[in-house]
Amino acid sequence: MIRFEHVSFGYPNGETTIEDLSFHIQKGDFVALIGANGAGKSTISRLCNGLLRPLSGRVYLDGQDTLITPTSQLAKKAGFLFQNPDRQICENTVEAEIAFSMKVQGWPADKIRERVAAALETFDLQGDWFPFNRSRGERQRIALAGVLACEPELLILDEPTTGLDYLECIRIMDHIKMLNLEKKITVLMVSHDMELVQDYAGRVLVLSGGKLLGDGPVKEIMKNEPLLRQARVLPAQIPSLALAFGDRFADVFTIREMYEAICREKGRGICRAGREKE
Amino acid sequence: MNLLNYVPGNSFLHRLNPITKLAAAFLYGLACILCGSILMELGFIVLMIAVCAVAGLGKRALRLTRNLLILGLFMFVLQLFFVRTGEALVQIGEFVLITTGGLASALLLSLRVVATMLPLMLLFAITPMNDLCNALVKKAHLPYRYAFILTTAFRFVPLFSTEFHEIQDAQKARGVDFETKNLFRKIGLVAPLCVPLLVSSLEKVNSSAISAEMRGFHLRTRQSGYKEYPFTGRDVLIFVILISLVVFSALFL
Amino acid sequence: MIVADHVTFQYAESSEPALRDISLSIDDGDFVGITGTSGAGKSTLAMALNGIVPHEWKGDFYGSVKIDGMDTVEHQTEDFCRKIGEVFQDIDSQMVASVVEDEILFGLENFGVPHGEIKIRLEKVLEDLGIPDLRKREISSLSGGQKQKVAIAAILALEPRILVLDEPTGELDPESSREIFGLLRKLNEEKGITIVIIEQKIKLLCEYVKRLIVLDKGALAFDGVPGEIISHIETFKTLGINVPPVAELSYLLRQSGVYDGGITLTVQEAEKMVREVLHDPV
Repeated sequence: MIRFEHVSFGYPNGETTIEDLSFHIQKGDFVALIGANGAGKSTISRLCNGLLRPLSGRVYLDGQDTLITPTSQLAKKAGFLFQNPDRQICENTVEAEIAFSMKVQGWPADKIRERVAAALETFDLQGDWFPFNRSRGERQRIALAGVLACEPELLILDEPTTGLDYLECIRIMDHIKMLNLEKKITVLMVSHDMELVQDYAGRVLVLSGGKLLGDGPVKEIMKNEPLLRQARVLPAQIPSLALAFGDRFADVFTIREMYEAICREKGRGICRAGREKE
Repeated sequence: MNLLNYVPGNSFLHRLNPITKLAAAFLYGLACILCGSILMELGFIVLMIAVCAVAGLGKRALRLTRNLLILGLFMFVLQLFFVRTGEALVQIGEFVLITTGGLASALLLSLRVVATMLPLMLLFAITPMNDLCNALVKKAHLPYRYAFILTTAFRFVPLFSTEFHEIQDAQKARGVDFETKNLFRKIGLVAPLCVPLLVSSLEKVNSSAISAEMRGFHLRTRQSGYKEYPFTGRDVLIFVILISLVVFSALFL
Repeated sequence: MIVADHVTFQYAESSEPALRDISLSIDDGDFVGITGTSGAGKSTLAMALNGIVPHEWKGDFYGSVKIDGMDTVEHQTEDFCRKIGEVFQDIDSQMVASVVEDEILFGLENFGVPHGEIKIRLEKVLEDLGIPDLRKREISSLSGGQKQKVAIAAILALEPRILVLDEPTGELDPESSREIFGLLRKLNEEKGITIVIIEQKIKLLCEYVKRLIVLDKGALAFDGVPGEIISHIETFKTLGINVPPVAELSYLLRQSGVYDGGITLTVQEAEKMVREVLHDPV
């Protein structure tokens, strides 16, 4: 779906540079991009859909070279949900806002009407709302509805849950995960929240200073504390707790797993204590 | 990047009193306006670039000159077609008539525009806005409110431009074709961006005002300013040189 | 000390109150976190505690807020803005200067601090926040964390007794966020400054604050020591607030009867708990 081949990039003011970066994301993957501020996460996400273009090397989105394909063309393949929905929303009603992307991408009118109605239903929105005075969570949902209405094959999420509360976050992420599983939409998510990454992503790319420090299945990366430390990333709580006990909780990642493992250990512990008494 | 940014430095230009810098920029501009010789206008431009080069600002001066020349070129073309004195040089049809007088006045005017604007633009490279405003409040008794509005407006330009780019990116990502070569289409595409820009600008201005208010903005008096901006011999020297330049330009050029 | 007594506030253009009947008091030296879902009234509460509401935002205000006995409605903002300082959410728009030094000077100059003292305070506050090297830097060239420190320094230079911060870590990565919280803890412990912080990042709140206030649709839902109120995990979840995973773990273990201590708020505490449960040597 996305292929980076020896990509280098730098901003004119010298901020965040990327050097000779190569990786490949398969169709249907759910990939998280993690790293400290300034590691190059946002830059990479913007290189994927032509908002930025490599200085050297090539980025291919579904086989299309981003260097020679207009962004408006790439937008049909890749939907992008920004951290701040207010930069996206520019229409006076939710209905028009959701229809906007489809309209600029040249969808037929009857298809647009159909998709807008479906999106309002899915995301529990009212078509005649004035988007600007809705809550942050609702605005993010409006933005996501607009992006997903175009049925992108790739969804890029740039810290999608900042400013959202837990319920709104779960709601948005669960929907995306469902699309990922059922419709095989490829997801690339930039996030600081390791709990979120652990719950939703399948593969993690760890970045630091524009370089790829690590790339692997989420379970492997979450337990690689030296790697996370090197990338200045705060590990998720439960894997980090599990690590403190060496190999004892090697396969523990979630609260549930930890709880059950402790109960199991406890059971054995009680047995051991009992035998000692005998 | 931004041609109106402050360039930190410690050259003789940087060390002048902010008021002197402002006055000098205006006086230099005045001298350029009063000057009536094409050659001397060119001289003024070269002199300005040379002074800047000595102060380590040569690159900025050259880039500004290049940009101003575009404006100059526009003036040149206008003037060329509208002034018809002297002998005819080129005539095409009934409407296009280029004369020697037209050519001379067009050259003079466009160079004058460049020469006059250049020092005013360079003022921003050597003067932090805060210093300029504080000095105007202290020495020229400008009410602080106006000085504050001026600095704030300047500070907001890059903020708004970042915001504008982010909004544009967000729209590009949805498939809005900003890369079109058609200028009219492009203008039509930019129009809807004004809504999110307006929304965020209003928020920014409001939070900026409240924040200033909470830090005692309205309590401020002219004596509040901590930094002093004394005039030195160097400032007097600059004033003398520039006033002489204006007089010389008015009388002889 | 701030005392809010039955405060209800409704913005002029809104159809519903943003704050509903809130009564609380914040003591000197407290470190208070305010959390809640988006639209729960966190920012409005913070602004009501320092008089911005109802002075700068118009609307219907009922009840009273007293800062050291001064009623915020009866006094003008200038009377209490020396006692209480606020760091706002939008880092960029609250800055007034282009150079760090000028940013910190702004408030000092406005309040007419004697010029001899300005120099001392300026240097001290830069020292306290560990940013003396940023003094001459252009603000636009700083990182998010550095900017936030400058914004805090500009307020602290005015020597307020109370510091209110509205989501100061919103745009920072976890490491810089922890750094800011660590800094606030230091200011609270060493200088006795009262800190009121609005924050959505519950893990950070649990680790750092002494007292946690939870808002739900403008009303007070919880107010207490984090270790105690977090134990209402089910209620927290229905309010739309997640609790730290380690807190939930300790809750589950307590439910099943293998653990009888308090709710654990950090990984370190949880590790201690698990060792205790498993009878491991510490």
